[in-house]
Parts: sequence; C-alpha cells; structure tokens
Amino acid sequence: MSVATDTKPGDTSSDEVDSKWLNAHYDPVASLYTFTTCMALSDLNGDGENKLIIADLGTGSYDMKLKVYKGTSLMSENAIIDLPTGVSTFFMDTNEPRTPAIAVASGPYIYVYKNLRPYFKFTLPPLEVNEVEEQLWNQTREDKIDVRVLREMLDSLRRENTDSSLTVRSLRFLMLDPDQMEAFADLHKHSPMKKQTVITCMDTLKKSMSDDDAISCLVIGTESKDIYILDPEAFTVLAKMTLPSVPVFLSVSGLYDVEFRIVVSGRNGHIYTLKRGSKTAKSCVELGSQPVGLQRVGKNIVVGCMDQTLQCFTTKGKRLWTVYLPSGITSMGLMDHKQRGFKAVLVGLNSCEVHVYRDKYLVNVIKSQDAVTGMQFGRFGREDGALVMTTKGGGLIVKILRRNAVFEERDSSGGPPVAQNQKLNVPKKTKLFVDQTMRERENGTTMHRTFQHDLYRMRLNTARAFVTALDNSLNPISMNPTEPLKLSAQIQGIGPTFKLTVSLQNTSMNTPSLSLIISFQYDDKLYALQKNLIHVPMLIPGLNYNFETLVECLNDKGISDTIKVFVLRQHRAVPIITAVINMPVSESVIVV
Amino acid sequence: MLMDDNTIAQIARPGTSLKLPGTGQGAPSAGVRPTTQGGRPLSGFARPGTQGRPGTMEQALRTPRTAHTARPVTSASGRFVRLGTASMLSNPDGPFINLPRLNFTKYAQRQTLAKALFEYIFHHENDVRNALELASLATEACQFKDWWWKVQLGKCYYRLGLYREAEQQFKSALKHQDMVDIYLYLCKVYTRIDQPLTAVEIYKQALEKFPGETAVLTGIARIYEGLNDLPNATKFYKEVLHYDNTHVEAIACIATNYFYSDQPEIALKFYRRLLQMGVYNTELFNNLGLCCFYAQQYDMTLNCFERSLNLSTDDSASSDCWYNIGHVALGIGDMNLAYQSFRLAITFNNDHAEAYNNLGVLELRKGHMEQARAFFQSAQMLAPHTYEPFYNFAALSDQVGDLQSSFNNAKKSVTNYAEHCDSQELFKQLRKHFSIL
Repeated sequence: MSVATDTKPGDTSSDEVDSKWLNAHYDPVASLYTFTTCMALSDLNGDGENKLIIADLGTGSYDMKLKVYKGTSLMSENAIIDLPTGVSTFFMDTNEPRTPAIAVASGPYIYVYKNLRPYFKFTLPPLEVNEVEEQLWNQTREDKIDVRVLREMLDSLRRENTDSSLTVRSLRFLMLDPDQMEAFADLHKHSPMKKQTVITCMDTLKKSMSDDDAISCLVIGTESKDIYILDPEAFTVLAKMTLPSVPVFLSVSGLYDVEFRIVVSGRNGHIYTLKRGSKTAKSCVELGSQPVGLQRVGKNIVVGCMDQTLQCFTTKGKRLWTVYLPSGITSMGLMDHKQRGFKAVLVGLNSCEVHVYRDKYLVNVIKSQDAVTGMQFGRFGREDGALVMTTKGGGLIVKILRRNAVFEERDSSGGPPVAQNQKLNVPKKTKLFVDQTMRERENGTTMHRTFQHDLYRMRLNTARAFVTALDNSLNPISMNPTEPLKLSAQIQGIGPTFKLTVSLQNTSMNTPSLSLIISFQYDDKLYALQKNLIHVPMLIPGLNYNFETLVECLNDKGISDTIKVFVLRQHRAVPIITAVINMPVSESVIVV
Repeated sequence: MLMDDNTIAQIARPGTSLKLPGTGQGAPSAGVRPTTQGGRPLSGFARPGTQGRPGTMEQALRTPRTAHTARPVTSASGRFVRLGTASMLSNPDGPFINLPRLNFTKYAQRQTLAKALFEYIFHHENDVRNALELASLATEACQFKDWWWKVQLGKCYYRLGLYREAEQQFKSALKHQDMVDIYLYLCKVYTRIDQPLTAVEIYKQALEKFPGETAVLTGIARIYEGLNDLPNATKFYKEVLHYDNTHVEAIACIATNYFYSDQPEIALKFYRRLLQMGVYNTELFNNLGLCCFYAQQYDMTLNCFERSLNLSTDDSASSDCWYNIGHVALGIGDMNLAYQSFRLAITFNNDHAEAYNNLGVLELRKGHMEQARAFFQSAQMLAPHTYEPFYNFAALSDQVGDLQSSFNNAKKSVTNYAEHCDSQELFKQLRKHFSIL
C-alpha cells in the first residue's frame, strides 16, 4: 500500500470531482466474486500491516478460494471445499505476537485458519432426526420394506411435516428417478442417519474485554433458525438461541460476559433482537420489503430494503427515517473512522455509485466503474481510511480517504430539482403565423364553409373506398363479426427463393375458427409456390398462428409483381380476408 | 481472442455512429418526430438509404425492397440490378464483347481504349470482378500515376465490399488530383463503415478546396441528419440553398424540420416553393395538407389530401395518405372517419405499424379489449423500435390485471424511448408493486 501513502493529496488530477477520495488501485480483471460478508481487513501476521481477506465464491459452483491480498498483490490462496457464506477474523488466544485467526463459514462447517494454515474445523451440532424417518431407513437396512414403499412413506412424511424437514439423504432420495433409487438406497442405508444444517451468517462478539485485540466469540446464524455463540478456545457452544425465521443478516454489539445484543434480520422480512440470557428472540420491526443489508450505527439499526429505501429504526423498533434511493441497493457497509469519530453507512447502488449516509443525510457520492457488490472500510496496509470494494464484473477497487476531507453535515441532495431551471424550447410565433391568423380572422366563415364542404366529400370518398375494400375483401382484418380474423403476411429473403410467412390470429373472445384455408393468387410465369393451398387447423382465440411457404422467382430480369393471400372458408368463393404482398426484386443467382 | 477477460464496449458513444439513431443532441424527441420503418431518423427527402440500414439480419430480410425502395443487403442488389439491366437483355447474335476471351494485359497497355473498355465492363456489363482486373493491370501499366484508374479501382473495391482497400485507393488518388467526385466517394466509404464523423471531416476538407460545392454541403447535411443532429443538418441545408436556391432535397428537409419543430406555417412556405418549382406528386400534396391542417388553414387541408390520393400511384404512398387523413379526423373528433381511414391505410400497406397502433387505441375506446390487444400485438411485431404500441399494451394489460405482461411491455417501451413520462410512471408503479412484500 506504499504506493498510495506516498501520494500527496492534490496530486491525483484524474478524479477532480471526487475530492474526498484518492484512487489507490483499480483492477477490473481481479475476477473476484464475493460479497460484503465474505470480506475482512485484518493484521494477520502481526507486522502492523492490514491484509485484505476475501472468500471468493469462484464460479458459484467450484473454484472457491480464500484469497489474501497484501497491498495490491495476492499473498496467498487456499481452496475452500464448499461455497463460503461469511468470513471473520478474531483473536482466539492471548499468545504473543497477537495474530488473529480467520474463520470461514461454509456449509455446516467453520474452517479456522491460523497463520494462513488450516487449524481447526468446527462442525455444527447435528439436529435431531425425525423418528419415523429413522425407522423407515432402519427397516430398509434390514430389507423389511421395498424402496418403493420407502419412497411413498418419505414423501407423505415430507408433506405432513412442515416444521421439521427431512435429512439431506431422504430429500436427495426423493429427487431421484425410480430406476436409480435402489442403488442409492443400497449405497447409503448402512451409514447412520445424520441431519445437518447450514450456516447463513456469521459475526464476532468480544468475550470479556472490549480491547481491539481481546478474545472474541463467534456468533453464527443457521438455516435451522438458530443462533449459536461459540467459545473461541475450546469451540464449544456457549449459548443457543432460537428465532422464528431463518437469519440472514447479523449485527452484534456488547461483551459476552457482561451484556450483549444481537440484531438479526430474518428471511420473512422481520428484524429480531436478542439479549444475553434470552432463549428466544423478540420481534421488533416488520419491514415492508425484503432487507438487502443491515448495519448498526450507535443505537440505531439501518436497513436497506429491496424497494430502494434506506430505513432507520431504534433498537425498540421505532422508525426514525426513510430515505428513497435512486436505484436498487447491491451492498451495504459500515464506515467507522475511529480517529475522526466519523460513523456512516455506505450503500452500494445498482447505478454504479456508492452513497455515504450520515444519519439520513447524503454526505458523499462515490462513482465506481461498475456496480459494487462488496465493500469494507477500515485499515488496509498502513492506511487507516481505506475503502475496499469489489464489483459485479469481478473488479477490485481500493480508495483512500483524503486526510483533509471534510464531510458536511448538510444534505447534499436538497434544493429544487435541476429540471426546474431548464428553459423550455418554445419556438416564437412567427410573423407568418400572425399574418395567417389575420387571414383566418377575416375570412373565418368562408374557411369554415369550405372545410365543412370538403369534409363531407372526404367522408363520402372514404366510405366509398372503404366499401370497395370490403367488397373485394381487401382488408387484412375481417369486419364480419362472425369471422373475427386478422391476417398479416411477410416476405423474407433476398431471392430467388423467398419465404412467405402468413400469420393468422383469431381476434374474438371465445369462438374458435374452423375449416379455413389459405390460398394465393400470383402470376405463374413469374413465381412458383411450394404450397398453393394451406389447410388451417382450428384457431384458438388470441393466439398467433404462422404458416409458411417458399416462393421461387422464375424470372431473372429484375421484375417484381404482387402476390395476393386469401383466407377462405371451405366451399365458399368469396374470401374472408386478403393481403397483398409487394414482392421485392429478386437477386439473380450469383455464379462464382 | 478466446477466454479474454477484458470486455470491449460494443456500443458506440452517443453521436458518433449511424447505427445508434436517436442519440444526437438537440433533435426533437421520438414522441414528436416519428421514425422510419427501420427505426431511423425521418428525413424530408426519400433517397436510397433513408430507409436506413437494417439492425438485425431478420429486419434486413423482412423489410420490403421493391424496385424504388432499393436497399442492398449484399453489395449487388436491387438498385444495381437496375443499373445493369442493359446487360440482361439478351442479344440475338451473342454479346457485343465476349469478356472471358479478352486479353486484359494487352488492352491495359492502350490507355485510351482501356478507359472506354473499363466503363463498358463496369457500367454496361456490371461485371465488377473483370473490371477490377482490368483496372489493376492498367494502373500498373501507367506506373500508378494516373488518378483516374485509382478512382475506378476504389469504385470496384467499394462494390466488392472491400472498404479499407477502397479508402486507400481514393486517398492515393486525392494526392494526384483534387476532385469533388473523389471526396464524395471517400465519404461514401466512411459512411459505409460507420464513421460519420470522419466523413464530415473529409467533406470539410473538400469544402476548403471547393468552397460552395453543393454536393459536398448536402453530404454533410445528410450525415448530420442520419445522426439525428438536426440543428447542424438544417444549418448545412440552408447553406446549400445559399448557393443553389432550387435544391429540392434541401428545401424538403428544411421544411420537414420546421414542421416537426412546431412551426408548420414556415414548413408550408417551403413546400409551396417546391410546388412553384414544378414538383407535383402525391408526397408533396400530402405534406401540404398536413401543414395546412396544423397551421390552421382549414380550407386548403382536405383539398390537398384529395389531390394527393388522386395522384398516388403506389400503395405505400396512398397508405401514408390515408393514415394522415385519419390523423386529421382524430383532430376534428370524427372517430368513424378516423377508423375507416386507418383501416384503409392497412388495406393499402399491410405493414403500417402506426395505423395498427391507432386502430388499437380506437378499439380500446369502444371497449373492445381483445381486438385492441390484437392490434397492438401486430404493431409491436411490425415495428419493434416504436414505443407507442408497447406502452398502450402495457396500459391495457395493467387495466385488466395482467401485471406480468404489463411490466414486460412497459420495460420495452422505456427501453425504446427513455423519456416517455407515462411509460416511466407505469414502470415505476409496477416495479414498486413487485418489490413490495
């Protein structure tokens, strides 16, 4: 990070608009696929330089990696077996030098790394297996029941049991094709039943002291709607709490031994609070839309929602304010600059911007090259105010807060909208217009009479033309209420062979059209059609039916003609509707 | 490059490409000035190319290419077929010159004969490959010093679609001799490879050598028009009129611009000038009728339309005329007349998307939902670049509670014309509806 710290403020002329941030690093092809929860900044070696720890989701199905960046270069890479859901760094002992451990939550496990080497794997306590389900598998093992019976029983069990789900093995079994079931059951029936859950979110909680390098516990939310607090030394469950919904975002504050508070947002759009000693959660807020991020600033909870709002609540659940954002939220982060005592919420938007909110005031807008999906603010390298962002396209951006940057309290989005000051381009009335108005004023009556006279004639002419068109059934849309049809025909190709597509639609509400045929009229010296007659199947109202035929142009002299398409009822000579196609000039066959 | 992580922007910057219409500055919006059937900015003057280049292959294959709206898909099509028609008439006693039996090397040495022979092959026989062979031999024979041969080489390359080679030849010819013709050809190449700004640059160089040349000025104006930069286009058309006050294209384009920027009375003056000059066709009377109606000269309006209908010889022009009569009828509130006129517009031209859309609106007013829906659907299919049928369909679906299709159509409408307020409003409302828990 020495590159950036050497830069004097004011040197970066490239970004004059954004006077508060220096661009330290931008790598658009870092190929990182990660989110805010899978990023952490920590001094891993105890050398006073903070590293960036990123759990990369790889392609989303394989190639997951734990990456550690030192400055702008990749320091180490460790493969992760399953998709990571969270990364935290914490101190697990009091040994010197003070080096923190990394915890990576993935599936039902927490992998703990020390000095970037795998150190310990913690497995969540297994859940109780449904008794009936266990019995069923036991019977299968003793060959008392058939796989078909097993399948049926499991399926009915799945249907009636909504609160406690089946084990992964049973669910997988139910998904299989009948011919694969036997093999699957034979393979797995001897192993003991085990039901595991999955970690959804993770955070840390200081144990007994609030120092920066004090020992911390891990707080874990699981798919089985539980919150676990783990002891960092022995990795035993210190406390277990139950929620009414699956937790998705966690925010933890306080000390485990004294008093703590965990704010959890659930998958059902509720926010719950948990305190020391409580076994079950207290619901405090019901949101109007799904939360996409949750942060705590002081005693308030700030939630970003799917309906493009940022909402703030007290811990009691009282709504303080709502800010409407210009675009959808992609990520949220906390900006806590301890040296300056500045705390704000960072909101990454779909419109490639990061908004900085201090209370409800927008104090700064950072423009990024791509939509930001993950960000961390904190100490990176030796620089205290660094903002690390990953983008949707896999890029990595590092920005540094200028030392002389001041965030104004005032809301920078206030004032009347810009559109109000724009002048409308209304052309001036010309002298010509004034002259014509004069003429209109003087000869008003005559003009009106002429117009009315013309209008009558025009109505007559139009009606005549219309009747002629109807008589000849020239219309591509039927006027007959008993034959509600619409025809459109298109010609495609450059010749000599064209494709003629006729699309028919029944425009009535509920009467199908039956026994129709499509026929064509053309000059047989000029064109040859593949099908001269097309039988139309029953037309269901509202659907578009396409019929195709090939047209070959027989003439290479650059002459074109029209082709008429008729839709007829069987045994009736007069067509219902007609379309006339102007054929394009055909390309001649090019002999190469 | 396979497996390259870097992405290169496919979309040109606003105002630098002819492929991306509607991004020019200062032009009236799509809500005021309509577009052509291909979705290109509308010009006041029909010339080859005003129908616009097709965006997709399907569009290219679909749009009608009759003899007078020739728009080549390949380099030798429609228009060139007509140019070469002479070669198609069979001669009773064999062709005048039997090309395959000519010894090009021999004739290339004899400069005077070679030029005539080249012109015969190129224009009469329409055989570009042989013409190119002769031209390349001839230019070699005169040690690459004759600019005329270089121009002919460029023309051949252009026909064959080898634009970079053509550009090279024209540029080299310009070093020998400054000719308006060469500049025009060079700009044609640049327009073809979608570099309109370079073309304008070359035109401006030509203007320095040949000040007041109307062909060059018109070229600049055409490119600006294609970029939808109408203030600049009008400026150059006006300059054309300064040097040649009977230039039909310039007058027509200026008039169209005035009409769509809300000054029909001035447009009327320009169209009358055209009439005085002897232009007497259905399109002109059609335009005169519209201008009269919008400039409140009602006594002339219908008269002009009647004349236009009588003069019309082809179906697409009558179709447009009926469509405009429909608009006049809408303006005076005669729904019956409007309905009949739009129906007639469709009768004459099956692909008239705007008429389909308007018919849909009329059906909707009558409460015929299903009919209206069918009309909007056909309009959408025929003109996927417009926003009106999409918005109308979205509003209709919204009314009957089909929010999913309403959302999809509102989205398309917003994509096609981002500033349309009603679409934006509907889109916002629907998005809110879908995101609420």
